[in-house]
Amino acid sequence: MSVAVHGDAVAAAANYIFPNDLHVHWSLMIVLYPYITGLVAGAFIVSSLYHVFHIKALKPVARFSLLFALAFLICATWPLLNHLGHPERAMSMMLTPNPTSAMAGFGYIYTAYFIVLVLEILFIFRPTVVALGQKATGFMKMLYSVLAIGSDNVSERALKLDQKIIAFLAAIGIPMACVLHGYVGFIFGGIKANPLWATPLMPLIFLLSACVSGIAGIIVTYIFLMKISGRKIDVDCVQTLIKFLWGFFILDFVFEMLEIFSHFYMATHHWHTLEALYSGPLFTSFWVAQVGVFSVIPFFVLMAMSLIKFKDSLLLFIAPIVSVMILIQVLLMRWNVVVGGQLMSKSERGATTFHPMWFEKEGILPAILIMIAPVVILWIIGKVLPFWMDDDGVETA
Amino acid sequence: MEKEYKSKYYSHVVKIVLIFIVVGVLAVVGRNYLLPDTMGQYGHYRGSDLEDQRNVEVRSHTNESCFECHRPIRLIHKAGVHKTVSCEFCHGPYADHVKDGKYVAKLPVKKGMEIKELCLRCHNKIIRARPEESIKVVAMPQHLEEMKVQVDHNCNQCHMVHDPLLWIKAANEMMGMEMKGDKKN
Repeated sequence: MSVAVHGDAVAAAANYIFPNDLHVHWSLMIVLYPYITGLVAGAFIVSSLYHVFHIKALKPVARFSLLFALAFLICATWPLLNHLGHPERAMSMMLTPNPTSAMAGFGYIYTAYFIVLVLEILFIFRPTVVALGQKATGFMKMLYSVLAIGSDNVSERALKLDQKIIAFLAAIGIPMACVLHGYVGFIFGGIKANPLWATPLMPLIFLLSACVSGIAGIIVTYIFLMKISGRKIDVDCVQTLIKFLWGFFILDFVFEMLEIFSHFYMATHHWHTLEALYSGPLFTSFWVAQVGVFSVIPFFVLMAMSLIKFKDSLLLFIAPIVSVMILIQVLLMRWNVVVGGQLMSKSERGATTFHPMWFEKEGILPAILIMIAPVVILWIIGKVLPFWMDDDGVETA
Repeated sequence: MEKEYKSKYYSHVVKIVLIFIVVGVLAVVGRNYLLPDTMGQYGHYRGSDLEDQRNVEVRSHTNESCFECHRPIRLIHKAGVHKTVSCEFCHGPYADHVKDGKYVAKLPVKKGMEIKELCLRCHNKIIRARPEESIKVVAMPQHLEEMKVQVDHNCNQCHMVHDPLLWIKAANEMMGMEMKGDKKN
């Protein structure tokens, strides 16, 4: 098949797909699931860079990124529950653990990470919560008392103990965030019947793109929230985030490309299928959009932003734009992996197409609603645990 | 002089540990109540699910169910090369048509160019999935050109869908011609 022919032309030229391959079962919801868990893992990494690796410049977003991670983690299961239906059966996975099922492992991995994240937030915010609780009345006073775990002790000794626990939680949180998202990559990478998915690089690529999307998400929301509330943006913090974004993105993009080029170079017996897929139905969404527009351009923009000293106003203008591009890149990557892998037939003779509808159960509208939900949850969390406050309950910056 | 607090400096940590212990105990005890009775009866699944599966409505039937009413088609279908093809392949599931032995709805009938699409689902040369002896595959519109008919002809203009060679054999007989495969026999 000529490489010059691409897109629908390939699909029309040679297309036979078995009836059981015609339908794309893992729909938009399964695209969102790794996307949301990726944002969670990435945001947690930002927080850990401050709490564990002591990157001081990231202090302004260290607390916020934990709450960002929590808001998205709460919604991480929603696409799955919508996709599978019968959400009331979700707990069966916990009641009847199945050690030989990779998919059933999610319940325990997710819960363990959730517990660590919530505990870390409770300990980090405790002094602030105690301070806020003393000023609050009625229901809020009760809520703050619960969030402070019924203790008003913020003595030096108590905070020292808290610090030790926070360091421990943050330290185990990093491998756990990596396990959570590496696991999501493994779910795809471990499916040996699908040549697009079956590669040990998959968990690594998922993890790196998770870091990238999390950092980009934090940059966008930080700048946006600061702008709308009229607070001063910490330029040094944004600059540092951009540098980390570029660093992780170099690795992410290089591994994404290496994965394809090693398939291409080895030309394994499935390569003709993958080639047809990449030059056919995935041509636009992968080569043009994911690689061409949303990887190459942000790559050079991030490089310039990291190496050249930009004026503050220019930096703050470009940073959210390039971050949104990176967020789109990661979403496209999830799409091309999750949906792309299902577009080829097991007969290896053809490809199918997939166009999500707006109003179907797993369509575009439910996807948008699920992506809005964490933002609303984050706003509610922000009412209880203010994003930009120090230990004494005083506004920072 | 340090400020006096109501709680001890470690009290919140103790409370969290206690919460974990209580939740853990509740989970272990509660699990016994929440698990279905027949869980693990035969394997890592709910034993009574077998019963549930057995009670799932049967939607697909064999051709014999269709032939109980559709007598004339039965004779044609059983005599032709499509005799092994299930009625439901083209007409849809039996349950959409008959429930509890009673007619409930008309099955959709393929019309016009839908018929061509339906035939090519199995007879498209591009499939190359089965040997020529077991299924005739054709390329369109090459097949129509070879047969010297107009390229906008529909399949069912020459082929009777329930016995595709019925009319062709009859025409050949009338014209005193032999079919390609007949010579060997």
